[in-house]
Amino acid sequence: MPRDGSSTVTAARDEENSVMSSRNSSGGSPGAGDEERKNWLAYLGVRRLSAVYLWIFFMVLFGIISGSTFLTSTTYNLVFSGGVVTCVLALAFLVPLACAQYDLSIGALMSLSLAIMVYLSLHSSLPPVVMALIAVGACMCVGAVSGFIIVRLHVNSFIATLGVSQVLLAAVLLISDNKQLVGEFPESWSNAGVNDLFGIPQVLFYLIGISVVLWYVLEFTRVGRYLFATGGNQEAARLSGVKTDRIIWVSLIASGGIAGLAGVIYSMRSGVFSSTIGPGYLFPAVAAVFLGASQLSQRPNVWGTLIAYFALAFGIQGLLLSASSAAVWSQPLFQGVSLIIAVALAARPVAQKLKEARRGSTADPEGGEHPPGASQPATSGGAG
Amino acid sequence: MADAQPTQGSIEPVLDIQNLSKTFPGTLALDSADFDLRPGEVHALVGQNGSGKSTMIKVLAGYHHPDPGGTITLGGEEVTIHDPAASRELGFRFVHQDLGLVSTLDTVENLALGEGYATGFGGRIRWRAARRDARERIRALGYDFEVRRPVGQLGAAERTGIAIARALHNWEQARVLVVDEPTASLPSNEVSVLFEAIARVRAKGLGVIYISHHLDEVFAIADRVTVLRDGRVVGTHATTDLDEDRLVAMMCGDVQLSPRIDRDTSIPSTPVLEVRSLCGTVVDDVSFTAYSGEVLGIAGLTGSGREQILRLLFGALPRSGEVLVDGKAAPPHPTKSVAAGIALVPADRTGSGSIVDLTVRENFTLPDLKRHSGIGAHLSKAEERAETREWIKELDVRPPRPEAVFDSLSGGNQQKVVLAKWLRMKPRVVLLDEPTQGVDVQAKATIHALARKAAAEGATVVIASSDDAEICDTCDRALIMRDGRFVGQIERDDLSPETISSVQTGAAAIRA
Repeated sequence: MPRDGSSTVTAARDEENSVMSSRNSSGGSPGAGDEERKNWLAYLGVRRLSAVYLWIFFMVLFGIISGSTFLTSTTYNLVFSGGVVTCVLALAFLVPLACAQYDLSIGALMSLSLAIMVYLSLHSSLPPVVMALIAVGACMCVGAVSGFIIVRLHVNSFIATLGVSQVLLAAVLLISDNKQLVGEFPESWSNAGVNDLFGIPQVLFYLIGISVVLWYVLEFTRVGRYLFATGGNQEAARLSGVKTDRIIWVSLIASGGIAGLAGVIYSMRSGVFSSTIGPGYLFPAVAAVFLGASQLSQRPNVWGTLIAYFALAFGIQGLLLSASSAAVWSQPLFQGVSLIIAVALAARPVAQKLKEARRGSTADPEGGEHPPGASQPATSGGAG
Repeated sequence: MADAQPTQGSIEPVLDIQNLSKTFPGTLALDSADFDLRPGEVHALVGQNGSGKSTMIKVLAGYHHPDPGGTITLGGEEVTIHDPAASRELGFRFVHQDLGLVSTLDTVENLALGEGYATGFGGRIRWRAARRDARERIRALGYDFEVRRPVGQLGAAERTGIAIARALHNWEQARVLVVDEPTASLPSNEVSVLFEAIARVRAKGLGVIYISHHLDEVFAIADRVTVLRDGRVVGTHATTDLDEDRLVAMMCGDVQLSPRIDRDTSIPSTPVLEVRSLCGTVVDDVSFTAYSGEVLGIAGLTGSGREQILRLLFGALPRSGEVLVDGKAAPPHPTKSVAAGIALVPADRTGSGSIVDLTVRENFTLPDLKRHSGIGAHLSKAEERAETREWIKELDVRPPRPEAVFDSLSGGNQQKVVLAKWLRMKPRVVLLDEPTQGVDVQAKATIHALARKAAAEGATVVIASSDDAEICDTCDRALIMRDGRFVGQIERDDLSPETISSVQTGAAAIRA
């Protein structure tokens, strides 16, 4: 009887083959080798790498306009080392976003971490590394609390973390007594924030280190897959046996920890605390993540985020150097406008038109029977 | 292309399509199709996924432009349909499978979507008039329900009614109503309500194009049926000249569909799934045992608890009571159910059965990633891809690419992937909730064969379905639910849609 079962499957398949054969002869189904190759071709597409092209554009444009000041190692050092804190914060936002949770408390978490560092440097004799561990640990605890509010109290993450960020603001005001505090760190600690290693700012290595770890976890481990599955459809992931509540919880704890690291790195670079520092970093970080999510794999991803951030940062720097009057207001304007344009270009309308054009060329004459949604990465090389 | 009703040939058709073709780059989706629709007629359009029926409908809706050479004649005048607005202007009205209602708004507001409200001084909405109008319009279709309730709280048949009422706004100008898979989400007892509404529409002289995978519905409501296969019209016949077997043969070509498979009696009947006093919000103190090698059906009308019971068994909904697999308790949590060897294919394929934005591979491997992770929790995508490719070949999923986005697959292929992701786990208990809703005849046959095969390999398969014919074709035994309890059990030899519905409705004596 098992034999009967399988033969029926075969029979059904043969029928379908006969129905589909006419279609295949014209459409052609790509083999495994074709698919790999097409993936690589698709990776060079404008849509997947628009931020890289934007970056190149800025380099060329401002290189021509003010090459003498723009194309210098000072500019590179300034932009790269100056962007590290924001990028780490962006990575903190990225983790919960992968499972479709917004953590808007990252700016406040960084502020808390920095406040703890500065406070401990003034009121204790602990080595800075221990202070850093305490600060990061505290931020992870706050992440755990946010996770509790979201998972157990069923509060929308947007609201939960917005609320938590205000509570954190109160906490740092309490710690700092609403004054600007200047930390007293050992020289070695401050040096770690400003020194160069092999001609490259040392802080950049921290960023790369965190990025590599996060990239590996997101792309090459089960936890990463569970994060994206939960983000894609929480109910479906749960019914597939994924412990979605735990995944969300873990993502917020990770987010807290990484935001804490951003504060620690900030303390190396400046060592001065004021309660206004954290929140200002929220927007550039969030912008980088969303812009980055339109790049490469077209879901929230580490390298897309970094590319997006630095493309914008170089644009802003170029603007600052080229037009002296553009000093203060250019940054938020630039970030706001470029975020909207980039995400709009990557989002539905344009993407859908491209997809429809592509759909027609794949082996699916009734393309419209499937609701349009995600893109089809492997077909963008053009089948048939 | 024989018209089986020459006597009616003299009636002027409201819609006449001649030689309609549509080429997409690389494929001919519609190949010189002819189709005509008479006023007051219900004309069914059937064919498998990919046969060209959606393409034809989309040409009428103005979403696709046909190849030059074909003509569309509406009420004696040749027309060109440039865009959706022009289609509506010409008198085409559509009720799509996904009804396009906003569930948090009420009937009045949903009817006003797109057509606007009657307003008074200062743009004030004249709510009273709008409500009266809404009430009249749903009554005209034979419905009667409170128009101020959010449509999310209404039944599926009522929602379909609202979609039809909305499509028929200014129906004096409407000439053709196209109803696309209206019963895909409709429980069988509510289909008659929909049919009543359609009967009222045709009585007004509109032509109705009715698209469905359910052939029994075609025979119940349509006057004529046109069969499409591979983009060509295979034939148009009066439904009275056909029977279901011939229609299936026309849809599938010269291939034989799978015969009914009986249970393999050589497998020893050891109990695999034992359920003791299971309770949910509707399900009330249910106990049963299912055996290895058995395909058990659960039938019941909507509201009987049938649509809930499998999710309760899996722990997807809060429950009380005990579920045992091979004598060991399975706690009420999806993760633990998976560990205990239970698999659930939910009824809502895209809503809770799959993650549409991820690839086929990522969907397929999700329940068990451990087998592909090595040192340092490293996940091998190459291994994942290889395994996915094997199953894709085994089940003939199209397109055969592990990296295809799940969303880009047709319904039948999606369901094959969802089934495969569980079958690779070699589950002891396979729970299938409405496994073939919205899939074509051949994918349906494949899915049923897979269910039988899983049972033949020693698992227990439980199918909950509103499609009584499906239960009869695939199950060894059926339990019938009513009001949250089992009210009857029908063995293989007595299984027929008639016996099921008689127990469902309480007409027959309880046999359990």
